[in-house]
Amino acid sequence: MTTAPTSGFDDLPERPQVLLVDDDEVNLLLTAIALRERGFEIAEASSGEQALAALAERSPDVVVLDAIMPGLDGFETCRALRKLPGSENLPVLMLTGLDDDASIARAYEAGATDFFVKAAQWSLLAGRLRYLLRSARTRMELERRKSELARAQDLARMGSFEWRRNEKRGVMLSVEALRVCGFGSHEDVSLRKMLRLVPADERRALLRTLHACLRQSTVVAVDVPLVLRDGRQRVVRVEAEPEFNEHGHGAGYTGIVQDVTDRRQAEDKIRHLANFDSLTGLPNRRQLIWRAERALEVARRMQHQCALLLIDLDRFKNINDTLGHSAGDDLLVEVARRLRACVRHSDQMMEGAIDSVGGRSHRALEAVGRLGGDEFVALLPEVTEDHDAEAVARRMLEALRDPIFLGGQECFVTASVGVAIYPRDGQTVVDLLRNADVAMYSVKAQGKNATAVYSPHLAGRGREKLELESALFRAIERNELVLHYQPKIDVRASRMVGAEALMRWERGGKLVPPGDFIPLAEDTGLIVPLSEWALREAARQARVWQQQFGFNDSIAVNLPTHMFERSDLVEHIHQCVTAVNVPHRAIRLEITEDNLMKELQNVIPSLHRLNEIGVEIAIDDFGTGYSSLAYLTTLPISELKVDRSFVRDLGITPQSSAVVSAIIALARALGLRVVAEGVETLRQMEVLHRLGCTVMQGFLFSRAVVPDELARWLEQTVLPRKAPWIGSAAENEGGPSAELSGSVRRYR
Amino acid sequence: MQHPSIPLPPNMSPPPTLPASPESVLDEGALARLRELDPDGRHGVVTRVLSTYEKALARQIEQMRAELDSPRGEVLGALAHTLKSSSASVGAVAFSRACEAFEQRMRQGATAQTHDVAELIRLAEAALAAVRTILRG
Repeated sequence: MTTAPTSGFDDLPERPQVLLVDDDEVNLLLTAIALRERGFEIAEASSGEQALAALAERSPDVVVLDAIMPGLDGFETCRALRKLPGSENLPVLMLTGLDDDASIARAYEAGATDFFVKAAQWSLLAGRLRYLLRSARTRMELERRKSELARAQDLARMGSFEWRRNEKRGVMLSVEALRVCGFGSHEDVSLRKMLRLVPADERRALLRTLHACLRQSTVVAVDVPLVLRDGRQRVVRVEAEPEFNEHGHGAGYTGIVQDVTDRRQAEDKIRHLANFDSLTGLPNRRQLIWRAERALEVARRMQHQCALLLIDLDRFKNINDTLGHSAGDDLLVEVARRLRACVRHSDQMMEGAIDSVGGRSHRALEAVGRLGGDEFVALLPEVTEDHDAEAVARRMLEALRDPIFLGGQECFVTASVGVAIYPRDGQTVVDLLRNADVAMYSVKAQGKNATAVYSPHLAGRGREKLELESALFRAIERNELVLHYQPKIDVRASRMVGAEALMRWERGGKLVPPGDFIPLAEDTGLIVPLSEWALREAARQARVWQQQFGFNDSIAVNLPTHMFERSDLVEHIHQCVTAVNVPHRAIRLEITEDNLMKELQNVIPSLHRLNEIGVEIAIDDFGTGYSSLAYLTTLPISELKVDRSFVRDLGITPQSSAVVSAIIALARALGLRVVAEGVETLRQMEVLHRLGCTVMQGFLFSRAVVPDELARWLEQTVLPRKAPWIGSAAENEGGPSAELSGSVRRYR
Repeated sequence: MQHPSIPLPPNMSPPPTLPASPESVLDEGALARLRELDPDGRHGVVTRVLSTYEKALARQIEQMRAELDSPRGEVLGALAHTLKSSSASVGAVAFSRACEAFEQRMRQGATAQTHDVAELIRLAEAALAAVRTILRG
C-alpha cells in the first residue's frame, strides 16, 4: 500500500483521516480497503449514531457518509454533525444512489459539502476526497486571511471602500471603513453623507481635488480632515484607484480609508520641534535661515530689498545670574511676545517652495525668530528703505521699555539692534547676519539700547578688529574667559600669601594673550563687563580654595581706572563676596600707578569706600609713573608692587637696586607692604630679600596657572619643600621652620 | 418524495428459476475487480469481503424469512437497499438487480407480496451458496 498521493495535492496531510460511515458492512469494508490503498487513514462507523460518537472523540479531515441508513440516516447525521463544535466546516461527502436526485438535494440541504454516487469507482472517490480536502483547506485559509485582514485593518484603523459612478447605492464601505469614519457597522452611506463630515471650509477644496481626479480618472491620494458625528476630529487618508468599464471609461473607484490622525500629529509635532524654539515658540535658527533664504530668492527675482534685524538683549547674563535661569526664561518668553508684536509675524510652518511670481506671499515669511540665548532676529522680506527697518527696530526698543515682572520684581531690559539690508549689506543670509551682528555690536560699544544700520565704515574700524571685538563681546556669554593665578610668596616663611588673578581668553581652542585683548577691551568699554566678571570669578575661586585647603588670603584683581569711577563698584564687589560667603578682604584690587595718577581725583572716593569695607588696594607697576608722593601718603592703599623692569635689572645695573631699595624704604615709611614682580632667578630673590623685600611673585616660584594646578603646586612643591628657592632665604633668617610648618598646615 | 418510475431491465423478467453454478451466479468481472484491490492476495481481501457478505447475507435471509407471513414494505425495502449494493460489490448481479427493482417498487408505494419476498429469498440463497462454494473451494 504505497501509492503516492496524486501530484497537485502536495499541501494535504500525508495520510488524510477519513471517517467512513455505512451500514452495509460489505461496502464499508470495500471502501475502507480501497481508500487505505490510496493513502487515506480510515476510521469506520456502521451507523449515524456511531459516527457522531466517533466525531465527539476526535475530528477527522473528512467524513464519507452513506445517505440511506437505518436509524439515523445520512441526512440527519450530517445535520447533527454540523452542530458539533469544531465540525462546522468539516468537509462531508454524502454517498447517494445513482440518479437519486432527491437525496442529492437533501444532502446539500443537510449541510453536506458534496455528494458522490455510490459505486466501486475507488479512484474517482479518492480524487473527490482530495479535492474536498484541498478546497476545505483553501476555505479555512481564506477565512483565516479574512479575519487577519480585518484585524490588521482594525489595527491600522483602515478600511476599504468602493464607489460606482452612476449607481444609486452610494459608497460601499467595509465594516472597518465604517468604523474609521464613525458610522454604524450596518449604515448605508452616501458620498454626500461622507462629505458632510468634512468641515465646510475644507470641503470646497476637497471637492475640487476629487472632481479633477474624476475627470482625468487619476489616482486619489488625499488627507481629509473629518469631524465625526461624535465630535472627534480625525485626519483620514483616502487612497483610491480608478476602475474602468469595457469601453475604457472610468466606472468608479476602489480604495482604502485610513485614520492617520496620530501619525499626522506626530509629524506635525516633529516638524514643529525641528523648526520652532521650544521656549518661546518662535521660529528657531533653522526655520529663520530657511525663511531668510526664501526671502532673498524672492527679493532677487523681484528686485526689492529685504532686511535682517539682529536683536541682542543688554546685560541679559546679569539678569540670568542674579534672578536665576527660570526667571531668565520667563523674561525671554515675554521679550519674544513683545518683539513678535512689532512685525507681521507669521507662525505658519513653511517648507515648500514659495509660489509667488508677482504675488505677495513672501510677506508670509515675515517673522521674529530666536537664534539662541538672548539673540533674536527679525526678518522683513520687503523694505523700500533703511528707514522701514529702523522703524521696526525702534518699535522693538519701545516695546521693551515697560518693566517686565519676574517673580514679583520689576525688571528693566533693553536691547541693541543691528540692521543689515539686502542687497547692499550682503548677498547671502550668512553675510547679512554677520553684518547685522557687526552693526549690533557697534551699538553695544556705544552704550547699548539703540539701533544701528550696518555700514562698511562703521566706527572707522578695520573689519578684523570689529570681528575681534564682536567675538570678545560674546566671550563672556560663552564662558570663554578664564582666570589664571600667580601665587605671591613670602620667601622668609616659604609660604603663599595671596595670588594675582590674570585674565585669559580661550578663543576657539587657543589662548589669546591678555596683551591682545585687554587694550581692545579698554578701548571699547568691554573692560567693564570683563572686570565685573573677573571680580565674581575671583571671589568664587577664593571660596573654592578656602574649602579646598583653607585659603585665607586675598586674590588680587586688576582693574582699569574707570572701573573705580563707577558708583556701583563697591556694591558689585559686596555682592560678589557675599554671594559666595567669603570676607571682603578676599578680594584685593590692583590699579597701575599710571592710571591712578591720571584719574586720581575721580578715583579717590571709591578707594576710600573700598577700604572701609575691607577691600585693600595695591598699586601696580610702581616706579614707572610719576607718583605724587604727597598724595601717596594720603591714599588708602596697602601695597606697592615693584615694577618688573627694576627686578629684571637687579644685580646687573646698580641703579635698579637703588630704585628698589628706595621704594622699599618709602613703603616702610608709609606702612605699606612691598611686593616684587617678575622674579625669575634665585639671585634676584636673594638681592630683593637682602634689600628688605620678602613678598615676591614670578616664574621662579610659579607662572600664572589654572586654579587646580596652583593647588597641586602647593601640595607637591611648597608643602614638601622641594623647590630650589625654599631654604636659601629662610636660612638667612634662621629658624623660620615654625612659621613654615604653620603655613603648611594652613594650606593642606 | 415520489420518483418517476424506472422500467425494469428486460432481463429481470422473468427471473431465472433454476439453481445456477457459482460462476453464473457471481459475475466474474466483479470478482476480478475485488482481486485487483489485493493483487498478490497478501491481505486476503477477497476472502474477507466474501465472508463479510456471507455472514451479513445469512442474517438478512433470516430477516426476510421473518417477513414472509405478513411482509412489511419499509423493512424489506431497507433490506433490499443494503443487499442491492453489497451484492453488486461481490458480483451477485441477478440478486442485486432483483433487490433494486424491489426497493424501487417499495419506494413507489407498492405493497410487499409474499411471493416477491419468497423470490428474493430464493435468489439470496443462490448467491449465498455460490459465495460459500468459492470460500470453501
